[in-house]
Amino acid sequence: MVTDDVRALSEALAADPSSVVFVQLGEALRRRGQVELAHRVAARGLERHPQRPDAHDLVARIAIDRGDFARARAEWETVLTLAPGHPGAQKGLGFLCFQQGELDEAARYLGAALAAAPGDASLAAALDTVRAATSDAWRAPSGRASAIGGAPAGTALAAPAAPAPPFAPEPADARTLFADVLGDATRTALLLDRDGYVMAGQHVGADGRDAGADIGAQLSGVSDEADRAMRHLGLGRWRQIVFEAEAASVAMAPGGDGVLLVTAPRAVPLGFVRRLLERSLERAHRWLERGT
Amino acid sequence: MTSAFGTVLTSLIRHRGVTGCMVVGEQDGIIVDSSLQIGVNGTAFAALTASLYRRARRSAAAAGFGETGFFELDAEHGRVCAAGRNDLVLVVVAGERVNVGLVRVEMLKALEVLS
Amino acid sequence: MKFSVAENWVEAPLKQFVDEARVQLAVLLHPSGQVLGQFGFARSVDVMTACALSAAIHASAGELGRLVEGKPFTGLHYAGKARQLFLAQVPIAAGSLVLLAVFDDESSLGVVQLFFREFCAAMRAAAPASAASPPALAGDFERELNRNLAVMFGRA
Repeated sequence: MVTDDVRALSEALAADPSSVVFVQLGEALRRRGQVELAHRVAARGLERHPQRPDAHDLVARIAIDRGDFARARAEWETVLTLAPGHPGAQKGLGFLCFQQGELDEAARYLGAALAAAPGDASLAAALDTVRAATSDAWRAPSGRASAIGGAPAGTALAAPAAPAPPFAPEPADARTLFADVLGDATRTALLLDRDGYVMAGQHVGADGRDAGADIGAQLSGVSDEADRAMRHLGLGRWRQIVFEAEAASVAMAPGGDGVLLVTAPRAVPLGFVRRLLERSLERAHRWLERGT
Repeated sequence: MTSAFGTVLTSLIRHRGVTGCMVVGEQDGIIVDSSLQIGVNGTAFAALTASLYRRARRSAAAAGFGETGFFELDAEHGRVCAAGRNDLVLVVVAGERVNVGLVRVEMLKALEVLS
Repeated sequence: MKFSVAENWVEAPLKQFVDEARVQLAVLLHPSGQVLGQFGFARSVDVMTACALSAAIHASAGELGRLVEGKPFTGLHYAGKARQLFLAQVPIAAGSLVLLAVFDDESSLGVVQLFFREFCAAMRAAAPASAASPPALAGDFERELNRNLAVMFGRA
């Protein structure tokens, strides 16, 4: 039985075959499980509107449902060509790469998607799972290697068939130590020694200059102050400091002999900034344990 | 007779896990008004938290991040939160089980009173 | 910045106070003006001046307090444009001493007061019985003053 929305959309498309309503109609049909019909609608619409990113995105999702992964990948890559940073395409390619065992690529795409939608818990969980598959240092929140939450409808992505690649070595350049953890160039992490000097990470400003040394020096004083306060307040040792400024949120934690510092644009929720701090701290501890 | 901050302090101390709250001068670290449970060393918390908040505020400004609003320190046996305006800092001392998100919202609203 | 003491038992409490309170200058003295320890001064003449003025201010403050409320004022605070001054009595078993501290916006009055209280506790615990005894004669006083300054500035 045809529902009202599908009927209305079908009528609109019939009245004007060049209408972009085909995108909504195709999605509605896909969600109802009418994959082949959705495919025909999407394919015809794409012929008329080859430059629309949402049309290619729709075709990609339908291709996943039909098991045509190569087509799905090609379509999402086209989406990113037409609309760089398209979150649906990044998410889709992330899931696709995960299924095909390309874990580093999966982490890259999902990290970028999460950066655009930091509040998306399913994306965060997906990224956790990818990282868990990549390294034994990361634990998936559920503790199981199973389907990633939030996968495109109709997709059942399980643990990759190919064995997980061995742990990827840390980057030779310590400045990029946290790049994949942070997932977005607007977020920064700096590992400072006890004197406030930068050991790893960077803070690249709008002018392209790495201001990490200055930022680190300024903010390391906060941890000194915290150390003093903790000696006299009976609260034990401090574990984290977070504070919100107009242009950025800052999170800090003791790391090695010094402190780890994470900054993120103010739009990033404070809880997510803390999560970035925790992940960066794990990365920093691993790096330090390796004797770097 | 309660000060202008009495309502704010009364409201904050009611949150589960909050053991003390104070309005403190940021420059001198001296308590302006407070509501403290027995055993909380308000003088020490006031002086050291105001100093810590001031350091964070200055560091953030020097780093180009602008003015600082909410500040939280999480320690092994409790937390301290601070939010400041007009040379006054609202300080909240809490145990580990506090709903800090709720406290943060209320502290940010209370900044209007500090204005 | 140089830290020096004329009496060994003063060193640990004074150093702790200076480190924690982050003051720029500190001098510990007998109420008579004889220096026991200093931090941050470059010249002995500056220490002498600080001690003399601190002793005088402390004595005046004490008398003012007696006039105003029947007991001496034991501490005062002055806030200048860039620096602040804290002058207070340090009670010990044998009497009392005086502490002068100067600080800028790296510290605050609340912090200085907080660590001053800890300093007083540490001094009470560390001070020998004769610690607060001032010299009885003017001649002895000048010799003791010069000796203390020489000890602290490394010319003894």
